[in-house]
Amino acid sequence: MTSIASSPARRPIVAEPQYDGSRIPSRVPTILDVPEELRSSEDVLQVNFGPNHPSTHGVLRLIVDLHGEEVVGVSAVIGYLHTGFEKSMESKTYWKCVTYPERIDYVGYQNNELVYVLAVEQLLGLEVPAKATWMRMLLCELNRIHSHLVFLGTSALELGAISMFWYCFRERETILDLFELVTGQRMHTRYFQVGGLAEDIPQGFFAECRKFVEWMPHALDDYRGILDRNQIWLERTKGIGVLSAEDAIALGQTGPNLRASGVDWDLRRDQTYLAYDQVDFQVPVYPNGDVYDRYRVRMEEMAESTKIVRQCLDKLERMEGLPWIADDRKVVLPPREELHTSMESLIHHFKIVTEGFRVPAGEIYVAVESPRGEAGCYLVSDGGPKPWRIHFRAPSFVALEATATCLHRALVADLIAVVGSLDAVMGDTDR
Amino acid sequence: MADEPTRLRDYGLQSERLLWPTKGPSRFEEELGLEEMERALGLTTLEKAVRWAQTKSMWPDTFGLACCAIEMMSIVGSRYDLARFGMEAFRSSPRQADLLIVSGRVANKMAEPLRQIYDQMLEPKWVIAMGACASSGGMFNNYTILQGVDRIVPVDIYVPFCPPRPEALMEGIIRLHEAHLAGVPPAYERVGVAT
Amino acid sequence: MTDWSALPGYVSHRDGPEMPTVTVETERLREACTHARDELGFAMCVDVVATDYLGWAGKGVSGYIGTASGRDMMHPADQGLQVLPAPKPKRFSVSYHLLALRSGAASIAGKAGDARPKGGGAPRVRLQCWVDDGEHVPSVVSVWPTCDWHEREQYDLMGIVFDDHPNLARILMTDDWEGHPLRKDYPIGGEPVRFSDEQ
Repeated sequence: MTSIASSPARRPIVAEPQYDGSRIPSRVPTILDVPEELRSSEDVLQVNFGPNHPSTHGVLRLIVDLHGEEVVGVSAVIGYLHTGFEKSMESKTYWKCVTYPERIDYVGYQNNELVYVLAVEQLLGLEVPAKATWMRMLLCELNRIHSHLVFLGTSALELGAISMFWYCFRERETILDLFELVTGQRMHTRYFQVGGLAEDIPQGFFAECRKFVEWMPHALDDYRGILDRNQIWLERTKGIGVLSAEDAIALGQTGPNLRASGVDWDLRRDQTYLAYDQVDFQVPVYPNGDVYDRYRVRMEEMAESTKIVRQCLDKLERMEGLPWIADDRKVVLPPREELHTSMESLIHHFKIVTEGFRVPAGEIYVAVESPRGEAGCYLVSDGGPKPWRIHFRAPSFVALEATATCLHRALVADLIAVVGSLDAVMGDTDR
Repeated sequence: MADEPTRLRDYGLQSERLLWPTKGPSRFEEELGLEEMERALGLTTLEKAVRWAQTKSMWPDTFGLACCAIEMMSIVGSRYDLARFGMEAFRSSPRQADLLIVSGRVANKMAEPLRQIYDQMLEPKWVIAMGACASSGGMFNNYTILQGVDRIVPVDIYVPFCPPRPEALMEGIIRLHEAHLAGVPPAYERVGVAT
Repeated sequence: MTDWSALPGYVSHRDGPEMPTVTVETERLREACTHARDELGFAMCVDVVATDYLGWAGKGVSGYIGTASGRDMMHPADQGLQVLPAPKPKRFSVSYHLLALRSGAASIAGKAGDARPKGGGAPRVRLQCWVDDGEHVPSVVSVWPTCDWHEREQYDLMGIVFDDHPNLARILMTDDWEGHPLRKDYPIGGEPVRFSDEQ
């Protein structure tokens, strides 16, 4: 296997730095090359952080050149989880496709469902009832907390703060209980349908969710108590893996990675979707762009998401009895009771399930703020019942492009911290 | 007298009891009481004892691929505690691991590393195919996903669902323990390693 | 409103519900992107997508178009009956989704809120260029370094070659894979399963 990082053939430099002080490597933006003076030295060891490695990020492979403890060359090899989502979805009707996007980013799964469903609804021009919108928002925010808990638990575990894993997963179990209460399934809930929600919100959910919302700030205090003044944590995260704002924008970063580099950009506030303009929340932004700032951004996002969930609960409790899915029988399955009495419902049900509803021709790109950044869905429809081309913009794919830039003058231990802080989920990266 | 056999080994024996049939119970037996012996000590064959020990500390390898990996992480969490089965020590090196829980979809690109990891594990080794994608390709029947991990490694237990609940995975693990205790050989002996 | 015709290589543009789509000539793509980044303020390239239109407009699309308003009985020939989608200029389209980090129009059309962007100009745009099989597209890695992996992915899955890309290699498939899986003439693969003879 030829090594990418130290291959002798040099190609012309085409990526000039965008500005002075850019740390983006100049030959290939995503590969850190071994510097000239070390290339012939015998001290450089090429190590393969293979697809199976202990930091629980899934199957990322890093080919790392080490000069002692210092990382002098890195290149990432991905594709070990390429699932062919896009090709598979081209052969399924729109309704059946809903199960696929969830499994792309398998930690923030509701957000992927949401972006797909929003894209189809937009092409259809379908109006979604308010109850569905608010419930979708609530579940997406719970999912954001869930995703950040997984990030925090696993990143802290890798850096040695092993007890964080158990604390974070304790809250995560409560969130998964809430998902199970509403949707019947812990992960990959398939609860968002084109037109609204699959079913009404069950009794007892609001009470349970309120209990969680009351408890979560105490849990966050627990985490802060463990980590915020822990000298080892601070030394391992402050000043490590710095990504400046201009580099972050040039590398297409979005979400917490971008906000930790000082750029105030959040799709929920700036290009709002669902009902985010009707809730009150702050967007944390930190200036330094190091691992510590990314950690702080995600911690505060958890607190803000809890606030949003509380506001959604207040709103939803007053929406008892309202419809949870659009009324358009050409797109949405009719309720089962009607199938016994109404012939049109039976025909609609039959047509939707076998042939699928047809989406008018067009192309659309819709983006939401997933816990990892901007998750987008590009959908091209030819007017038929199956998507012609569907493509998901994966925030983790783009986040991993920044590894080479962040690892400027890093040690091996920092490599682990940086890759963890970029919060890349390999299902999202490889699709 | 030199010609009289006085040592045990002259008789070809290894125990004094056969040599000395009239010897009464030993001090140890006196203290316990003869009839208590079987109850106070566990008597078993060596194989059963070894199997019991293997079952109680079967260490998995960190082979989390996709969504099932997140559920696998949650069985290490405090609610579905895997430490009660002695298995919370997920080894990162396959040479130290006994159990390979293939959790997630296996792409063709990943098939070769998976086989290498399996080969690096030392016997006895078991494989649990966790989830629908590992068992049979799941909902992905396309150019890139291996249709079932048993194409390249012999599998002992298949755990269905997408993703399996932590309790389901633990049921699979417990059944593996019970099968092993009952004497069912690991899959590579039944199926052949080079499958 | 932004004057899209100032882009080098501008061919046409079309307003969409969520963002305008501007078609540019393939040869002048890099200049157009540089102009978009520097003059029009699109600092971030969010996504690069290639679409294969092989077989588009080949068979008619008929049946009920599922819209909230149903089918207009006054104009049956436009919807519902055998309608061919409008043909595309070439086989592949390569779309660059660009983002200007200024708040403004909702990315989802129809949302309440001020429709005029606050920063001036559209916050998002799709630059599109068209190529046939075998034609190359100039790489814009020098404009937005993030396009490195996006272009590699589209090369890997669609087979579109990007000129001057510093490292155009397969990224998601294995290095020795033959074929480009997301093309329309590439089979889905997999295996036949019982009872799966859906059309």
